[in-house]
Amino acid sequence: MPGAGLKLLGALGAAALVFFALLAALDLAIGAWFPGFERLSENFSAPYLERAVRDLAKAPARSEIVVIGDSVLWGYKLPATENVTTQLARGGLAVRNLSFEGGSPANTYALLRLLLANGVRPRAVLFNVNQKEFNPSDSAYQKIHPSLDALAGNLLSRDERAQLLPTVDRTSIEARLDGWISAHWRFYALRSDIREALFNQVDAAHALDDAVQIVSGAKARFEAEHRPTPDRFEGTYDLSPLDDKNVSVIFLRKSVALLARERIPAVAMLTPTNHVLLHDFIDTPQYGKNLEFVRTLLERGGVRVVDLDRTFGSGQFIDNDHLTAAGNRHLAEILEPELAR
Amino acid sequence: MIEIVPGAKNVEEVLEHDPVFKLVGMRLAHPAVLGVVLFLIVVAIVLLGPASESRFIYTDF
Repeated sequence: MPGAGLKLLGALGAAALVFFALLAALDLAIGAWFPGFERLSENFSAPYLERAVRDLAKAPARSEIVVIGDSVLWGYKLPATENVTTQLARGGLAVRNLSFEGGSPANTYALLRLLLANGVRPRAVLFNVNQKEFNPSDSAYQKIHPSLDALAGNLLSRDERAQLLPTVDRTSIEARLDGWISAHWRFYALRSDIREALFNQVDAAHALDDAVQIVSGAKARFEAEHRPTPDRFEGTYDLSPLDDKNVSVIFLRKSVALLARERIPAVAMLTPTNHVLLHDFIDTPQYGKNLEFVRTLLERGGVRVVDLDRTFGSGQFIDNDHLTAAGNRHLAEILEPELAR
Repeated sequence: MIEIVPGAKNVEEVLEHDPVFKLVGMRLAHPAVLGVVLFLIVVAIVLLGPASESRFIYTDF
């Protein structure tokens, strides 16, 4: 019987050896061949962002324009091939899109800190400033994207952290286990990015559901029934006068100071806004004053401002601020000469 | 479930007729195959699992 026990142990050991050898081989393959996206994935992981930042750091200094922003610059509801940065790249500009859904001035600042800490020296930075993100009830007003927070959180001072709210609990057993596995297994750490590369959706279930809804026509019916109407945006914009107590103002000011200190040319785009849709909520003198407050803050800090707040027609918007494919093309035409200077 | 084999005299004879035992006894059940199968199962779980790690609530609408 001891012989049988040893044989069983030997067999299990051999199986484990093969199992771990395959996992290691998969990790090597992922490291070597996993593609870079044209923009951050919808649900990007910290290791993916880390890799994107490392790639940027390897680029010759002052060679690339880095785009930092929210879903408007990311290309909400559009394939990556149709968003503004891809259009700019097609026009010959060396641009790298690090925008993501849920951006805000606090996120812009954290990402700038991360880039600079990793030795990235861009030719210029383009970022957008969206009036809705000065609203304390905006989801990204006081929150850093968790994957960005994982990398840049320790670069922020105690005072800066005090302005922010936590997004994920990193102390639970589940979170620690997840962190440990992610630290040792690249395939697991990049799973959200790999899923998006494979399924073009956050996961297989969503991809399957999407395919069924498209085939059955349910998706088209849903979108027809849920066209953006003004009432959906009540409360999206806060028209209280902006001041230095506003967290987005605090981080915008910090970003401007950081860019000036590092002598990085910066272009800030005041986000196009659908005034036809939002007329009842934002076409007031205070909206204009807030816009002027932001513009002055930027210009005094040496940032070039491209005010696109009223530049786009209603037909070029998907909703309150996200642009259609044609809108993105128009935006690229406006930005191209500004960035090529 | 091990079948009751009519006429079988001992455990070995019963097992020889059991489909699970036959499967495990096949050459295919080599430890390396077990390692590969385990690897495929784990990779499939990670790939096909739900995006529960979607940790940022994005409320555009």
